[in-house]
Amino acid sequence: MTLLGSGIFKGMAVTFRNFVGSYFHRERLPTNDYSWRTEGSLPQHAGDYPKEEGEQLRDTTTVTNYSRNFPMLLHDGSEPMDTIRCVACQICERSCPPQCIYIEKSTEKKEDSSGKMQFYPATFDIDVSVCMSCQICVEVCPFDAIVMNSQFELSTPNRFGGLLLHQGDLLKSNDYYHKIHPEEAAARDKRIADEKTAKEAKKKAAAEAAKKKAEAKAGAETEAGDEKKEVAE
Amino acid sequence: MSLEPLTLTDILIATVPLMLIFATLFAFTTWLERKALARIQNRIGPNKVGIPCTRIGLFGLGQPAADGIKMIFKEDIVPRGADRLFHLLAPILALIPAMLVLCFLPLNFPWIKNIQGLVKPFMLDGAVIFFFAITGLNTLAVFMAGWASRNKYSLLGGIRAVAQMVSYEIPLVLSAVIVVMMVGSLNAAEIVKEQADEYWFILSPWGFTAFVIFFIAALAETNRSPFDLPEAESEIIAGYFTEYSGFKFALFFLGEYIAMFAISGLAVTLFLGGGDGPGVTMNPEDQGLATEAFPGLSAVWFLAKIFALIAVMIWLRGTLPRLRVDQLMGFAWKFMLPLSILNILVAGFAWHAEQLDNTIITVITWVISFAVLYGAASGLNQLNRGKVRPREYKYAE
Repeated sequence: MTLLGSGIFKGMAVTFRNFVGSYFHRERLPTNDYSWRTEGSLPQHAGDYPKEEGEQLRDTTTVTNYSRNFPMLLHDGSEPMDTIRCVACQICERSCPPQCIYIEKSTEKKEDSSGKMQFYPATFDIDVSVCMSCQICVEVCPFDAIVMNSQFELSTPNRFGGLLLHQGDLLKSNDYYHKIHPEEAAARDKRIADEKTAKEAKKKAAAEAAKKKAEAKAGAETEAGDEKKEVAE
Repeated sequence: MSLEPLTLTDILIATVPLMLIFATLFAFTTWLERKALARIQNRIGPNKVGIPCTRIGLFGLGQPAADGIKMIFKEDIVPRGADRLFHLLAPILALIPAMLVLCFLPLNFPWIKNIQGLVKPFMLDGAVIFFFAITGLNTLAVFMAGWASRNKYSLLGGIRAVAQMVSYEIPLVLSAVIVVMMVGSLNAAEIVKEQADEYWFILSPWGFTAFVIFFIAALAETNRSPFDLPEAESEIIAGYFTEYSGFKFALFFLGEYIAMFAISGLAVTLFLGGGDGPGVTMNPEDQGLATEAFPGLSAVWFLAKIFALIAVMIWLRGTLPRLRVDQLMGFAWKFMLPLSILNILVAGFAWHAEQLDNTIITVITWVISFAVLYGAASGLNQLNRGKVRPREYKYAE
């Protein structure tokens, strides 16, 4: 039996750790004190906002590893559309609370990165003006195809078309994912690899079992056939 | 002991510094709260406003002044359908009771002692009752604001506030009753003196239970998170002060924080020994005035304890999510009320056991009462616990 009210104390311990830690570990701070940086100085810490135009302005490494913004789609190789992980199952579209994802499934299948024939999204749009960054699409995706990006400079003069991200904007390589969220990406890759080996082992075992069963069945069938013949005679 | 009639000067000396001190503390507390909440969320918090026209930030200590200036110069908008008179009166009525009850706190400021030796204009025999009677007015102010605004969000906020404040008033008073039972007096100075002589009431099992109930009810009474339903911005915008802007809004804000100070002050008086602490001796015959290592030490202790409680309030605000309305009412009526009534019984038995003046019996009583109270609290918790289901994914798998 847990101590009465221990949940509250656990929560308070977490907030207290944050409170103290934010004074000692600068990398905890996702917000950046950019306005007072002296003229011409370069970003010094992970988290410093680039000041000059063109000074790594679109480089998402200037935010911390824990920053999450809007979803992106992962692909494995150099050709984004050939190695896209998404199979247009539309689970994320239906799970999305503000319904900001729009997917159109392709009519025919094509090979994915592992050579298996799969459907692919003909259209995959995310309206980032509606997205609330809840990360539920990431949680529900069974194919590890959608993860969170940390790109933040998304302002645009066109508030309708400009904020609707299309497949081309959303597709990022797994290498990019490793760059912006190293720990998370490594953990995810490890999990995928583990699942794959487990699956293969299972498949192998299943194949052997099936083979044995087939043999046994074949033997039984011949016997049954003989019996039948006898009865017929 | 007969008191001489008070002159106007006496009253001013006793009240004006109180208002100034607590208004300043309010400004400092808003800054402190914003900073602490920011750090809890791994942000920096206000750090820009310091000395004007320079880049000296002073950790953003100028922020309250900037906020105040902004509030005063903002346009005061009254909705067309609003009841103008009551719309104006509500923030004033929210502030007055909060300011008034500060006078009943046994704060031993040095200047109070300096006049005639004995000026305690508000040292009433029924201070605790008076405190609850006056803080009850706060509910009226909140509902007045909600009603006079002629806005559905405001009205919803007002209704929620009335339901919440009336429900939590009962455990609040019942937990204070225990202290009154133990001391046998409603006088705040007497209560502090008793604790200085014996022990702070928070250190006993019934006192601790009463303090926890009191503190939770105090959070609800002052509309603090996690009981901030009347002003839940994600549900009903700003609740009862949706239609307030400018200085009226600032008055509401001030009233809320002063009420926080007042109710923390009462908690310190009742359970944490008031101005008692190292270097302070309470004099029994001197109406609760203390002998101090240096003048004002007792008041410093008192304010430090108030600030400790305020810090816990801020900490809780940064930690806990807001309750639902049914959880809020269920907690008050199904958990706090039975527990506080049981606590009164336990405290009554414990008082009689302490009258025997036998250490072994006292120790046994403490252990038994602690076990009874903890068991009752766990039992009530188990009874009230709703079924918690794991999160379901509708479409995946």
